[in-house]
Amino acid sequence: MNDEQVSALRQGGFASVSLLVGMVPWGIVAGVAMVSAGLTQAQAVAMSVLVFAGSAQLAVLPLLIIKAPLWVVLATTLVVNLRYVIYSAVLAPHFGHLSRPWRGLLSYITVDGVFALFAARFRPEDADPHKHWFFLGGSLVMWCGWQASTAIGVFAGAMIPKEWSLEFASTLGLIALVMPLLFDRAVVWGALAAGGVALAAAGLPLNLGLLAGIGAGVAVGLAVARFGQTKAVRG
Amino acid sequence: MGEVAFGWVLIAGMAVVAFLARAVFILPGSRLRLPPTAERVLRYAPAAALVAIIVPDLALAHGAWAVSIDNPRLVGGLVAFAIAAATRSILLTIAGGMAVFTVVRILAGG
Repeated sequence: MNDEQVSALRQGGFASVSLLVGMVPWGIVAGVAMVSAGLTQAQAVAMSVLVFAGSAQLAVLPLLIIKAPLWVVLATTLVVNLRYVIYSAVLAPHFGHLSRPWRGLLSYITVDGVFALFAARFRPEDADPHKHWFFLGGSLVMWCGWQASTAIGVFAGAMIPKEWSLEFASTLGLIALVMPLLFDRAVVWGALAAGGVALAAAGLPLNLGLLAGIGAGVAVGLAVARFGQTKAVRG
Repeated sequence: MGEVAFGWVLIAGMAVVAFLARAVFILPGSRLRLPPTAERVLRYAPAAALVAIIVPDLALAHGAWAVSIDNPRLVGGLVAFAIAAATRSILLTIAGGMAVFTVVRILAGG
């Protein structure tokens, strides 16, 4: 590493320190909720390292408790992580010149906050040769923060009595997480439809109610968005 | 499959899915731009999925409707929604929701 690379790495790291404030309590809750939902301590730590996706880690816990089948849990992981597909498309032109191991590492370590910082700071056409070091620095800070805070939660969670039902904190965490996603009318209507259909269809086998809810939510969201557009063009 | 073995298979599967979602354009070095409709679907689906997980978790108990004032998950969850909307704070949402949940649970004798 030369001086400029180290400097970009440190800039990225410092820029994302402010994001840690929001992440640390969240990681502790996720750690507690993972063991309360029935994962062993080793599994909970492994999940944080290998999956490294807070919202997916929390979202699968209620499904784990009701013993949903594997493919439903994996499909849910995919849907909750679909935002990463958007990030991947935005980031790809920035990192296209890098080696495959670099691209693999940066893919694995992508998180919401650092993506937002990076996208606000760099344009794809910027030829800045050190921007991936900035991204790596910011991501490493978040990675360490996530591993440390979930580990604290995992070991604290093992000491907390079962009747406190702290696994409910994962659902509460999802409530906090979904609020900023409800950014326009279409997505709000979509989310309401998803909740209604998931509830009405909860009796279906294989948790198909969940997938029906997601499908209905996306369909209603798209329909409301299209209706809004047509109205805007006419009016 | 035992519960612990299921857990490990689940973690391995989730790791693959989470990596592929992030790597799908970065790893091949793609310059593709997402069409607006695709981007919309990708934006709406996560909120729909989260709400589709949250609502049954609050309103059902052991697979049956449990819409009543002495369901601690429902009351705690609704209060959490209100706190999240008002404060946008993760910490306050979880702490407030957990506090209300616990009070209702104790009052309802759960």
